[in-house]
Amino acid sequence: MVSSIVLYLIRRSINAVITIVLLLALVFILLHTIIRSPEGLARVICGNPHCSNSAIALIIKQNGLTNPLWVQFFSYINQVFHGNLGIDTFYRGRPELSVIEAFLPITLELVVTGSALGILIGIFTGSIAASNRNRAQDYGIKAVYLTAWSAPVFLVGFVLQLIFAYWLKLLPAHGIANAFLTPPKVLTGAPLIDALIDGKWVYAYSVAQHLVLPAFALAVASFGITTRLTRASMIDALDRDYVKLAYMKGLSKRTVVWGTAFRNAVIPIITLIALTFAFSVGGAVIIEDVFSYYGMGYFTVQAIYNSDYPAILAFVLIIGLAVIIANLVADLLYAVADPRVRLT
Amino acid sequence: MRRPIQATVTTEVATGTVAAGKGKTTTGGWRFYLGFFMKDKPAFGGLIIVAVFVIWGALEGLMQLLSLWFPHGRLFGHPYSWALIPSNPFVLNFSPSYKLQPPSLAHFPSFLFGTNVDGQSILARLMYATPHDLAAPIVVVGSALLIGMFLGTAAGYFGGWTDEVIMRLTDAFLALPALILAIAVGVLLGGGFTSVLVALMIVWWPTYARFFRAQALTIRERGYVESSKLSGSSSLKILIKHIIPNSIDPIIAYVTLDFGTVILFLAALAFIGVGLSLYPEWGSESNFGLDYFPTFWWWSIVPGIIIGVVVIGFTLVGDRLQDLISGRMTY
Repeated sequence: MVSSIVLYLIRRSINAVITIVLLLALVFILLHTIIRSPEGLARVICGNPHCSNSAIALIIKQNGLTNPLWVQFFSYINQVFHGNLGIDTFYRGRPELSVIEAFLPITLELVVTGSALGILIGIFTGSIAASNRNRAQDYGIKAVYLTAWSAPVFLVGFVLQLIFAYWLKLLPAHGIANAFLTPPKVLTGAPLIDALIDGKWVYAYSVAQHLVLPAFALAVASFGITTRLTRASMIDALDRDYVKLAYMKGLSKRTVVWGTAFRNAVIPIITLIALTFAFSVGGAVIIEDVFSYYGMGYFTVQAIYNSDYPAILAFVLIIGLAVIIANLVADLLYAVADPRVRLT
Repeated sequence: MRRPIQATVTTEVATGTVAAGKGKTTTGGWRFYLGFFMKDKPAFGGLIIVAVFVIWGALEGLMQLLSLWFPHGRLFGHPYSWALIPSNPFVLNFSPSYKLQPPSLAHFPSFLFGTNVDGQSILARLMYATPHDLAAPIVVVGSALLIGMFLGTAAGYFGGWTDEVIMRLTDAFLALPALILAIAVGVLLGGGFTSVLVALMIVWWPTYARFFRAQALTIRERGYVESSKLSGSSSLKILIKHIIPNSIDPIIAYVTLDFGTVILFLAALAFIGVGLSLYPEWGSESNFGLDYFPTFWWWSIVPGIIIGVVVIGFTLVGDRLQDLISGRMTY
């Protein structure tokens, strides 16, 4: 069993590396088909529209922009695997990786909270819909998730802000934490975890308060797919013989639904973890803009407005990596939860 | 479209839902579809939303083309491009009675959705932006269908290393959240609607390739493909005559749902400023209101609601079509 998991991990890692190289090739080809001349590329790397000619010549020489394309591609891949993603033009002179290091944990914290919340809500609503099939609850839940599914993510954010932040005044609408509090020591970069490790309870409370609305917005945007899958899976489980047996034994509906059927129905949901994560990463870009939550999304929107190409390429790579890892984790979890699944 | 309808009708007869006393059963045509949608109130509502959206988008798109061809032409005393719209969507009016007015019945229907900081009617701007939101799903989903059909069917039918290469490429695209990849490509291509369209087209086809591959894998094992092969048909003929026509049916519901998704993506990209131009866009209108939120809430909220309503229309129709294709008339 252990050796098969190791073999599987090795195989999947090789596949992941191939996927990342293909991704890099895609981005590289795109960049070079759009900007063909070395001078144009040098201007992009420089980022400053008033870059002098001597500076351009220097950049061309330093980056080997006159080399054949395949040489450039291999040197680019080499650089990426050594952790050099280029120099950010907006955060002047800082290497891309250190900029991302500061922003990524904040977004990961938000996305993980949001997708976990979305999956939990979805499992709950899906089970309720399935156990009350074709009744008012079922149709009500369907109406809610179809609406949430169809609404643009930013509208969800706006509505939550209006209701909970401005009308009821329960939660803050903007930022990561109260700006007047002293931040904790940076260990992991994720504000909530840092504050908890450092023992800054007031700060941790403030971070948690600021996290609720954006995470909930992500959850609202993503819980529909989980609801749909849970409902289908639960309906399948409720029709099985062991459920009938449980009813015949005289167990209550609650025990049968949540005790017997639910435990069998919930296994396929694990495959949704990666999907919801990927969806939430996309949604986070917009949600962070709406909630002034200064993570990767904010960083990306800044990069878009500044035409900061190295930053966008680095962002795409990092997110691709995160999603590939999430896929791997979901597959492994699935194999652990369901002994019938073979890792091949 | 022939097969699923027949299948549905037989299910209907089998379950006894066809009114036997009327003595007439329609097996196809628009009457059948209309009747099919009329049976489900939400789906019929969705159909009306979609119809209004499509008709208005096409009409306004035509008017904007006319205005492009005849810049001096006039209809009701206005240029063609906004002759059918309550007010000029581009005019600046900074007088306090026009600037940032809440939704009201004043100047009906200009102020129905309120005005923005430039004193422009939000209703007029949203109406003016509709053709782009209609064109995007058609172009993006259409191209994705074509590309996905060719690559996916080839991969599934030929197998071997063709399959391996195409599927690795598809996986590389699918490894990223579509929105992130669309942002990257859209920004690299520079501003404008065309670059957003190209970005979405690049992002959209892999799902379709996967789908058509799965279809081809099952269909190539069928008897009629085997016999066609035995009678000496070329691979190309088998692909065009048997595999592609038979794999298209199940995807129609998905395409309808996907129309809504493209509109959502377009809105999301416009919201974060990819492909920004002078032409109004539903998503970017909402983003412009961000600085004035929540005091002047309608500027951000109304465009979002309009997008949501249109997408719900497509979702409801797609959901109902799914029932038609899977042969279930009720849940």
